[in-house]
Amino acid sequence: MTSFAQDLYLLLAAYGLALPVSYAGLPVLSQGAFVAVGAFGTALLAAHGAPLGVAVLAATALAGVAGYVVGFAATRLAGASLALATWGLAWLAYVVLTKFPAVSGGSQGLLRPTPARLVSPSLGVVLTMQPWLHVVAAGVLCVVAALAVRRAAAGPWGLDWAALRTSPVLADSLGVPVQRRRRALLSAGAAIGALAGAGTGVLVGVVAPADYSPLLSLQLFVAVLVGGTATWWGPAIGVALLAALPSASDGVASAAGIDPLRAQGVLTAVLLIAALALRGPVGRRVPAVFERFLSARRSVVGLPSAPDVVPTHPAGVVLALTDVHVRYGAVQALDGVQLELRAGEVHALVGPNGSGKSTALRVAAGVVAPDSGDVRIRGAVAPVAGNAAPRVQAGVVRTLQRTAMLGELTAATQVAIGVRATEQDVAGQGWRHLFGTPLARRLERRRSGRALAALTRVGLSARSDVPAVSLDSAEQRLLQIARATATGATALLLDEPAAGMSQPQRVRLGEVLRSLARAGHGVLLVEHDMALVGRVADRVTVLAEGRVLASGAPDDVRADPEVQRAYLGDVTDPRHRREEQAPA
Amino acid sequence: MSGGVLLQAVLSGLADGSVIALVAVGFTLVWSLTRVLALAHGDLVVAAALTGVLVVVGRTPVDISLDPVRSVAVVVVAVAAGVALSVLAYAVTVRPFLDRSQRAEDLLGWVAGGVTAGLVVRTALGLALPAAAYAVPDPFHLDALTSSGSLGLPGGGSLQVRVFPVLGVALVVAAAADVFITRSRLGRSMRAVADDVDAAALCGIPLERTVVAAFALAGLLAAVAGLLHAPAQSIAVDDGALLGISGAAAAVLGRLGSPRGAVAGGLVLGVAQQLLALDSHLGPGWAAALAPAVLVAVLAVRPGGLRAGRQVAVE
Repeated sequence: MTSFAQDLYLLLAAYGLALPVSYAGLPVLSQGAFVAVGAFGTALLAAHGAPLGVAVLAATALAGVAGYVVGFAATRLAGASLALATWGLAWLAYVVLTKFPAVSGGSQGLLRPTPARLVSPSLGVVLTMQPWLHVVAAGVLCVVAALAVRRAAAGPWGLDWAALRTSPVLADSLGVPVQRRRRALLSAGAAIGALAGAGTGVLVGVVAPADYSPLLSLQLFVAVLVGGTATWWGPAIGVALLAALPSASDGVASAAGIDPLRAQGVLTAVLLIAALALRGPVGRRVPAVFERFLSARRSVVGLPSAPDVVPTHPAGVVLALTDVHVRYGAVQALDGVQLELRAGEVHALVGPNGSGKSTALRVAAGVVAPDSGDVRIRGAVAPVAGNAAPRVQAGVVRTLQRTAMLGELTAATQVAIGVRATEQDVAGQGWRHLFGTPLARRLERRRSGRALAALTRVGLSARSDVPAVSLDSAEQRLLQIARATATGATALLLDEPAAGMSQPQRVRLGEVLRSLARAGHGVLLVEHDMALVGRVADRVTVLAEGRVLASGAPDDVRADPEVQRAYLGDVTDPRHRREEQAPA
Repeated sequence: MSGGVLLQAVLSGLADGSVIALVAVGFTLVWSLTRVLALAHGDLVVAAALTGVLVVVGRTPVDISLDPVRSVAVVVVAVAAGVALSVLAYAVTVRPFLDRSQRAEDLLGWVAGGVTAGLVVRTALGLALPAAAYAVPDPFHLDALTSSGSLGLPGGGSLQVRVFPVLGVALVVAAAADVFITRSRLGRSMRAVADDVDAAALCGIPLERTVVAAFALAGLLAAVAGLLHAPAQSIAVDDGALLGISGAAAAVLGRLGSPRGAVAGGLVLGVAQQLLALDSHLGPGWAAALAPAVLVAVLAVRPGGLRAGRQVAVE
């Protein structure tokens, strides 16, 4: 009974770790340290006279705070450095436990007060924690954790998580609060780990440093990986295998005549390698089924009439750059650029390579901070540059040059991630979804309606259940645009949307861009294809060497002799000549 | 605290630090070429040295005086083991998770692969060497400089005489590695790959061979580090992991990707550990916790430290 309860607590710790690892894609190698915080924290507090229940809760909260602090580092660390930092943390915890007996009771460990009693004077309840009670408690916690995680993953949080583990950059560009989500997942994972540690400590009665070595972190990490990405059953399989280890290794040890502890090391290593080899095939198949199940359920719900996300704006300026300067080292990328984007127009930004088009777009999108100058969104000063998310809230969103960044997710799911940016009107959506409130169900219907509307606008509604990798390159570009419009942005910043498209596809893209303008969006288009620009643009701004050379109606700009000399005249690339001659 | 004791701590620290530096150089080299962290590197250090001893002396190593032939044999086997294990670790736990053609990597995959490789090495070695710790013979005979193996210092305190040759050998090897990386054709290929994989490939540099060579060099440095480190005290199979953490901390301290920075970081870390151990209030516990604490703290405070000096565009 005791060992079964122990395994259940181990599973609980694995579910905790699954939050940052499987759902946020963060390589966290320090779960054992958080488990130790729970175990030793509880033992220390109980030894100093705290009631057992209070000690458990306090230690859990402490680990949650520790996870949140690690989260602050994680928000700034690239993936690999987070692995290194958390691996260092696992060892730091272990060294502290082994070298500082005051904390850990030395190699003997700490004893909890016996018998373990939960006392509630106000309710008059005294509960002695028998092993069977631990089994019940740990079992309930595991089931609750598994169900809650599974449910959350199918809701609004799950959309955010899917985006940020696939591509943090793209998630940010769609307005997903990447850092906040990461911190929350790390913190929750650490707290759940600590709860499991506290439970184990109370169950066993003694907590010794040797049981909380970095090997525990490693075992939990691989247990979580077994099921591949984002599954609720993966940790269960992994922990079941881990649980079978001690008895199996005793058998191996007696058969081979070696030390049981070493035998356990051998089997753990074998298990780890097997898990690594298996996680691909196992992990690929099941999420695909899961994803299908999800999208099937969505369409069963029945789609309400798709509301138009974009309120039609009066023809006002939605985005204005005034006297913007940006310098990269010795290069003056932007040198006093003026740019205005109005609602309902397609505004093309053209110029030779290196003229500052992309930089201007990044300044507008808030990913590059200008050295000087003014950026305004609908007349208000733009949020501070850095993360794109605040700009998305303010109504400015950009597409990235690279496509195919959300590979395995279906088109509908990807657009739904964009729709999340329009859902700031209801607080606590993740929680509402978790508890299945009626409002959450209405929101889900609204979300799928908006997603379908955005897909319909670019002509991809028939492809909503197709994973993005299976779309052709033109459809992927259109999906990017749909994702951007789904955020409800008034200003769409499109970076070379026609790249890699054939001529018929470009015609279709042109129609989509015109219809977006008709719907009230302001479209800022960075594009090399002058024929396309001539077809769709209401206004053209020509950049050269970081300055605005000309701005106005396409025909006027073309006629400008200075533009012809600087941009079209002395360009050696024959492609530009051909495009210049193409009928507009 | 007398001046002699302080001097002893600094000199011992420099010797410890030079060993850490060799580990750190290998770690940093692997990072700059593959953008992968060699999480099993520390285990290779101990594994290489113990393999050399195991093959030549036998399964119950004792601190015996080796004749010249067996000394050379220990060094050769240890270096061969270090190189082979490092290349093997790359082939089995890193390569499968990198996909250069698609410029994508499986982060969770190689992280798990690296820590697993370390566990496999430790476990395999533990099967052959079941005792808690071993005193191993010194193939370099570094204690033989004085008859007692130690040296009295002016102002009190005495010093293991081996700290001088350890420091010397380690710095010479590190300098040789530096010359190799900056001057030789293969070394220049490594730097080209580290700087820009695609550009190096376009220039006709054989990518795979260069990366394997870098891992081999890292394994060689690890073996030398192990041979210098192991005879100084009794050594346990499990010591490698913490040595790897120390190496990683030194590499991060000196800015990851910079071999010279790694050497400096190692020396600073070694001396700091000894000085901490000297302090009567803090003591050896703090010295042991220093390396992982530095690793965590540097990464948390200077998150750009890993990529400083090389801005990677977001797109």
